Amino acid sequence: MAENLAIIAAAGSLKTETVIERALKDPGKRVLITTYTRENLAQIIRRIEGRVGVVPANVSVMTWFSFLISQAVRPYQCAVLDRIGFARGLNFKGKHQKFAKKEEAERYFFDSNRDIYRDGVSDFACIADARAGGSVIGRLEQRFDHIYIDEVQDLVGYDLEFLDLLFKSKIAVTVVGDPRQHTFSTNTSMKNKKYQGVGFLDWLKERSSSCDYEERSTSARCSQEICDFASMIFPEFDPLVSTRESSYGQDGIHIVAQNNLESYVAKYRPKVLRHRRNVNTCGLEAINIGVSKGCTYDRVLIFPTKPMRTFIEDGDPGKLKAPEKLYVAATRACYSVGFVI
Amino acid sequence: MLKKIHIENFRAFRKFDLEFRDGLNLIVGDNDAGKTSLLEAIHLALTSRFRGRPFAYDLSPHLVNQGAAKSYIADVAANGVTAHPPVVLIDLFFEDSDEFADLKGENNHCKENAPGLRIRAAFDPRYSAEYQSFITSDAPVSLVPTEYFEFEWLSFAGNAVSGRSVPVNASLIDASALRLHAGADYYLQKTIDEQLDAADRVELSRVYRSLREIFSKDEAIAAINEKLGETQKEVTDKELSLSIDVSQGASWESSIVPHLNELPLQFIGGGGQSMLKILLALYRNLAKSHVVLIEEPENHQSPASLNILVEKIRERCDGRQVFISTHSSFVLNKLGLDNLALLGEGNPFRLTELDADVLDYFKKLPGYDTLRVVLADKIILVEGPSDELVVQRAYFDRHKKRPIEDGVDVISVRGLSTPRFLAIAAPLGKTVHAVVDNDGKAIADVEARFAAFDQHAQIHVHVSDPTDGKTLEPQLLKANGRDVLNQIFGKGFASDEDLEAFMADHKTTCALGILEAKEAVKMPPYIEAAVG
Repeated sequence: MAENLAIIAAAGSLKTETVIERALKDPGKRVLITTYTRENLAQIIRRIEGRVGVVPANVSVMTWFSFLISQAVRPYQCAVLDRIGFARGLNFKGKHQKFAKKEEAERYFFDSNRDIYRDGVSDFACIADARAGGSVIGRLEQRFDHIYIDEVQDLVGYDLEFLDLLFKSKIAVTVVGDPRQHTFSTNTSMKNKKYQGVGFLDWLKERSSSCDYEERSTSARCSQEICDFASMIFPEFDPLVSTRESSYGQDGIHIVAQNNLESYVAKYRPKVLRHRRNVNTCGLEAINIGVSKGCTYDRVLIFPTKPMRTFIEDGDPGKLKAPEKLYVAATRACYSVGFVI
Repeated sequence: MLKKIHIENFRAFRKFDLEFRDGLNLIVGDNDAGKTSLLEAIHLALTSRFRGRPFAYDLSPHLVNQGAAKSYIADVAANGVTAHPPVVLIDLFFEDSDEFADLKGENNHCKENAPGLRIRAAFDPRYSAEYQSFITSDAPVSLVPTEYFEFEWLSFAGNAVSGRSVPVNASLIDASALRLHAGADYYLQKTIDEQLDAADRVELSRVYRSLREIFSKDEAIAAINEKLGETQKEVTDKELSLSIDVSQGASWESSIVPHLNELPLQFIGGGGQSMLKILLALYRNLAKSHVVLIEEPENHQSPASLNILVEKIRERCDGRQVFISTHSSFVLNKLGLDNLALLGEGNPFRLTELDADVLDYFKKLPGYDTLRVVLADKIILVEGPSDELVVQRAYFDRHKKRPIEDGVDVISVRGLSTPRFLAIAAPLGKTVHAVVDNDGKAIADVEARFAAFDQHAQIHVHVSDPTDGKTLEPQLLKANGRDVLNQIFGKGFASDEDLEAFMADHKTTCALGILEAKEAVKMPPYIEAAVG
């Protein structure tokens, strides 16, 4: 078993930067960097190109789904389907056939276009490895020395089973993420439900013998006032510490009254965030919180939901329905976070 | 590097499997046995190109194996739309090393977990409607409708591959056909191009472009262009001039030609051209693994230059895999029987599959005799030169033609080595008639030596009858009588014993006498049977 490492790190702690830096360190090692979303993947590629011009030949960069489909499902589909050249691409929208048994693998996992349903991809990959006598992992061991998974909190369901296989392999695996920012999931499988979001910490703890654990609570992005606010949302994690040297006036958490909105926006020019598209943002141009993930802004202005407003008043995270959304929204900002009340 | 290949319905092959050796692979076979098809299949799987063009664009019915096409056409005639068009398939297996792990998976014909590349051209179900109306139309189907085929180039992982992702470089050199036309040919161009680094290529393009300016600024050209401009004003108001084309489609490759001793390559003799091409390919320094495919290097070469060429090929096989098809016993001898794969009508066959003592025998023999077995349509094996001459005569008397005109090769083997030749001929599916002396033993005892070939229907052993004598000479005497032979040899022996003794002492002279005799010669029954 190779050395595996999980880095659980706060927003703005340069997670992706860490992945890129380590992946580029040794040109003699064959490295895979994978992450769930295409947006994040594009950003990883941009940052590598920013550093070294082009993605080096020893580094492969692919989304989690391309990785599973091209490196596990297609090569060893025969072990599950008993035929070759069947699996095509990914069906991102549908769900596996409820009325088919898993033994009828073609009907269970694939649509009529021979694309595999997203909630079955990692499940299929695990079955293929078991049926082919460990060939999936054997092949990956020949292909990669080190696998980096960014935004690992997005992996759910059978993804975790596959991650277990990788942890047991000769490949060194480094997973990086922040369960507090679990706003996306690769699929909606009920498998391993309890390990979603903050529960991922428990999953890692159960694997403390096969995977080292490192927690980083320093934020290079957010001012200390924002860090303090964000720490209140997830008391089970170490409190965030800002590494920003000093901040220039008017920083921190602002409550903005509706009638002051215009002058506030004119003064601070914040990025406006909303929970959903249907939120009334008083005519201001806004983006969904989910979309803002991974981005950095000087200042943000949030149109909060009702539970968020309650939290701002009483500071009790227990009533928050989507704490990760509030956490993501607040930690986008370097200097100030405004809430429209 | 490359471990083996499996081919279905491509060119000469209905179904074909061959394992490769590291380093050198010599491919020998009759015309039409598939030597060229094999080299093309390897190159196709590595590059997806066929004769320099993307295979997807050149998928013609003639690339489908003729046997497969015939049975498909018969199938259509009998079963109409339910007939299955043949699938063209090439599975090229690589050695299982980390270098090739990206190509690894089970998507090959035998579902083996191995790295490799697959070419597959098959009916595309999206054309079902068109195909149905094609089949049911009045015109009879006479070709495989490859226009309704889809083409795939995949790794055994099941993923599409691109030229860049293939970790092996391939160079194909066909020395038998020189395809030099405008500029250098595709393969040569590629060879030269890959020896240049990025900076070289940029510089070459820059200089080529600047040539255009120099050309147009030349006083003579300027004057000509001015004149052209004047006269053309009546035809067009645009400016007409002569210039060098430096657009994308006309890059340096089409106008700049390799020169040897200041002669453009296409003006050099065939031998020089193919020597240059082969050596350029062999001397490429590549970061990737390298496969070199050479078709008939002996073409256009004098014995002396072939000697040099073969020597260089042998030197440069280290660290690369070289496939050579050849007709030349010289090449064969120099490069070694161990590396030989024989293509015949049956499965391909390696000499190393033979028993150690048989292999040892052929290693000592000049390669020529081995090649004759491989290349002949039909073979008559005889024990010694005098038997050969008599068989020639017997064949002519029967067929009014010399054996060679029918593609029958009469091969004289030394002593008791007939079974060794049969050991090569049998797996190749060659038809062989072996003429064997009884040497005083019963026919059954002699035939026992050939028991191993009993199950090969195309191998026939003809043993002389011991009651008519031990060897050819008494057999001839028995068939023709003393008077006839005395006349043929111009002798006057008074007894059979004396005549037989003379014949035994002058075997070749007597055999020549038989061959050239004006008189009718009666042949012993076992020889009659062998030429029948």
